[in-house]
Amino acid sequence: MNAHADGGRDALLRATLALGVGFILLPLAIVVLYSFSSVAYGVFPPPGLSLRWYAHLLNQPAFGHAFLRSLGIGLAATGLALAVGVPAALALVRGRFPGRDALQAFLLSPIVMPKIVLGVGWFIFFARLGIQGGVLPLILAHTIVVLPFIINIVAANLVGLDSALEEAAQDLGASRWTVVWRIVLPQIRSGLVVSALLAFLVSFDQVESSIFLTRGANNTLPIEMFLYMEKWQDPTIAALSTLLILFAFALVVGALVIARGVDLRRILPR
Amino acid sequence: MRVRGWFAVLLLAPVLLLTASLYVVPLGVYLVNGFYRFKDGRILREWTLDTYAAFLTDAFSYKIVSTSLLLAAIVTALALLVGYPLAYALHTRVRSARARAVLAVLLFCPLMISVVVRTYGWLILLANKGLVNTTLLRLGVIEQPIRLLFNMQGVVISLTHILLPFAIFPIYSVLGKLDPSLKEAAHDLGAGAWATFWKVTLPLTLPGVASGGVICFTLALSAFVTPQLLGGGRVQVLPLTVYNSTVEINWPEGAVTSVALLALSILAVWAVNRVVRRLPTVA
Repeated sequence: MNAHADGGRDALLRATLALGVGFILLPLAIVVLYSFSSVAYGVFPPPGLSLRWYAHLLNQPAFGHAFLRSLGIGLAATGLALAVGVPAALALVRGRFPGRDALQAFLLSPIVMPKIVLGVGWFIFFARLGIQGGVLPLILAHTIVVLPFIINIVAANLVGLDSALEEAAQDLGASRWTVVWRIVLPQIRSGLVVSALLAFLVSFDQVESSIFLTRGANNTLPIEMFLYMEKWQDPTIAALSTLLILFAFALVVGALVIARGVDLRRILPR
Repeated sequence: MRVRGWFAVLLLAPVLLLTASLYVVPLGVYLVNGFYRFKDGRILREWTLDTYAAFLTDAFSYKIVSTSLLLAAIVTALALLVGYPLAYALHTRVRSARARAVLAVLLFCPLMISVVVRTYGWLILLANKGLVNTTLLRLGVIEQPIRLLFNMQGVVISLTHILLPFAIFPIYSVLGKLDPSLKEAAHDLGAGAWATFWKVTLPLTLPGVASGGVICFTLALSAFVTPQLLGGGRVQVLPLTVYNSTVEINWPEGAVTSVALLALSILAVWAVNRVVRRLPTVA
């Protein structure tokens, strides 16, 4: 029937796609354009081009330090969430125990929990424990935030596995740990990569959950940017944003190369 | 491989320990503050329902709740109206797997870039002399630049953009599960493309619309960065109230506002789930 589809409908669908992609990319494109603007104020089109905002950015070491801090926190939180979340996903998918569905709903619930509420909770909690400043509270908080993404994606990948291979390995004398390590995990490698990438990006983007845990000296990058934007709106942020867009692009291309052949419909949680 | 007994306990122990100590306890410790008294800038540890009573009787809190609900409802409706045709076009028009992957990455790539960056993009676009106003002026649609920043309009536009991928994704996902023979059957029975869409495709993809809608609604309800940076103090929503109460060390008020925010999110999820159960399904 597709051969009969009329040209008008086809053109409409094409236009929808073009407009949609345009709308989605527009704010990112404008940020890149403005990072090369010659003036501080927002006027379209920019009157001239310059690299002065990149120079200005280099003179603000706080952004560089915040970037490295966010990188470290993201990696640590992702690693911790994988270490805790992968076994949990395995138990949720393969386990038969009472309250399993309720446990799954509970473990996924931080996704829908308003981040600002969690943020204030952690602020009070860590203050009471006397752990203020530094990156430890941020790592622990981000671990909780990214954990549901890991569990959801890893569980979705485990559901599709054929358990015959595992049974064969066990029949041949492999222990449970060997089966998990040598049979199960290698089969869901792409799911692990995708879930780790998503977890890292989510951690890298935390504002509300972390804003009360930072004290200037331990600002993460999005918080440093957020606080800068509350005061100034010059294209220094555009220059930084352009570098971050390149960074995200490199990460995604890297992950797609590693996890080649992953169905995009399975990447994001439902 | 079966997981049960001590093996299940071993697998679940770390996650239970972590979530109990870093998720349940901090939330509990915070929300308990809603039952404490706040007086003369200090929190007094005596049990009271005064903070709840004050929230429920204060006209200002109704204003905040209605602004929050209005913002979330408009953004959800817009995201679905823009997102459905996009998901449909992506599913129907794009045949080759490679083109589909590239387009899907383009549509979802904003998720990989910080909300702060995306909000900043809209700050530039919506400025008085920004791209949107300049284009509208040149086209003669408007004679004066319209004010799109530091008010509801700007927050609605940029939040719709930010949440759009969450609307597209579940719809695209359900479209992929749709049995193509249903469409062919409708076609063979003489239904045109439009009739097939309205009578077959749309009703069967409503569960995707509902789940996309509920994700957008809850995320819009708890959005903080965009209303703070683009609202200019004129879009007072629940998350901003929670933030301001915390800054003022009024934890009881923040806790009560947080409970209101949580209750509205849970109510939305519950209501949509009830409706979804009555919808026809793909399978």
